Amino acid sequence: MTAVAATAVDLAGRVERVTAVAREHARRTDDEAVFPTEALAELRASGLLALVVPAAYGGLGGGPAELIDCAESLARADLSVALIFAMHCQQVATVVRYGGDELRATLLPRIAAGERYLASVTTAAGTGGHLLSATAPLRDTGEGLLIERFAPIVTGGAHADGFLITMGSPGTDAPGQVCLVYAEREQLRITESGQWQPMGMRASHSVALRLTGTVPRHQLIGAEHGFREISLALFSPLAHLGWAACWLGAAAGALSRVATLLRSPDGRQRFDHRSELLLTRLARARHRIDAVHALLRHTQHIVEDGGDLSAAPVQMLLNGLKVTAAESCRQAVEELVDAVGLRHGYFKDSDTYLERVLRDLRSAALNYHNDRLDLADGRHVLLDRKVTHVGG
Amino acid sequence: MNPEFVALLSRFLKYATPDQITDDAALHDLGLDSMQSIELLFAIEDDFGVSLPDEALTESTFATAGSLWAAVRTARGDAP
Repeated sequence: MTAVAATAVDLAGRVERVTAVAREHARRTDDEAVFPTEALAELRASGLLALVVPAAYGGLGGGPAELIDCAESLARADLSVALIFAMHCQQVATVVRYGGDELRATLLPRIAAGERYLASVTTAAGTGGHLLSATAPLRDTGEGLLIERFAPIVTGGAHADGFLITMGSPGTDAPGQVCLVYAEREQLRITESGQWQPMGMRASHSVALRLTGTVPRHQLIGAEHGFREISLALFSPLAHLGWAACWLGAAAGALSRVATLLRSPDGRQRFDHRSELLLTRLARARHRIDAVHALLRHTQHIVEDGGDLSAAPVQMLLNGLKVTAAESCRQAVEELVDAVGLRHGYFKDSDTYLERVLRDLRSAALNYHNDRLDLADGRHVLLDRKVTHVGG
Repeated sequence: MNPEFVALLSRFLKYATPDQITDDAALHDLGLDSMQSIELLFAIEDDFGVSLPDEALTESTFATAGSLWAAVRTARGDAP
């Protein structure tokens, strides 16, 4: 990604516009399990959908650091909105680095104008979120590339203007040979199926989609077998950085609201701020949040340094970030629920909305399952007998 | 420092005589520990109807009676 054109102040103002809208609608979108259309409209209007679009294409030219800043801030208000945003940026960054000239020239200015919100179609039925497993292969019909694809969970799938879709590589039935292709909503016949009634992340409105359509060859992103490289070098690292930033923001926002409650006149009446149990729980929540923050920023710098991310120690760092952030952010909010009790920890109508955040964060370990990453890292450990620390 | 502020401080500084509570008086030397700092903060916010911003809640703000009073005045929007 390119140098940063957007100033920090510029970004903060844009993010505040979106968080204000997200906050206003968050309770309803959670109650009704509907997509945060108002927040998406503000993401478009504020220019934030173009955060990682290079300035040459009219974007803000942000990189991983700015993605993390914005995602964390949005997540303090609404984790669903933050995740929708982070995943969009992950798709856009992939187009920026791996898209061909023609695709970049047509698509990136439209993203910069707020006209294209991108969703990810990278899961297939029966793979548990595994990125490198085959679906039906992409077929070159002579008129273009034929996409026929079912995806069980597409975050924002009913609202996206375009999709990055993994397919089996053309001309092969071998699992693991996967390519990535871009398709606009207008190029596809899209059928939604199933219900969306999850425990948490209810406003992320992740639906099952069947996608069928033909796109021109220049909408293939990277090589015909290219998704493995894209995934290792950019797609997975950005997913883990973005998700961790979202979860960190959700936990940090929860702690901030609890601290504000405890400091308020009502909170001072209700809680004994000399209670050692209360103080200890607050400290433990804070320590978990700080540990995730440190790990996130350390991993961000490793990704920014541009070295080989496929080495075992780096893979463990990237996977460990995702696993640790998922667990520690949820545990931090659990501590806060115990700290403040039923009224402010468990009831929906508390201004702390810990209840919603805890439900939302329960998905973190399952959103690309921690078990799968632990298994991969168990193998990585055996490849790094010296236990090499990454980044000195 | 106004008399109400000195009176409030003296509730938390059990070992200080009123004439010891001057602008330069080091609050920790007069017996203010970290737990009492929180309680003193809450008492200030209640009695003076202010909310000190997080950025002001530092060691240096709580160093002396004068530095703490300056933070209260800033939070009240008093002219410097």
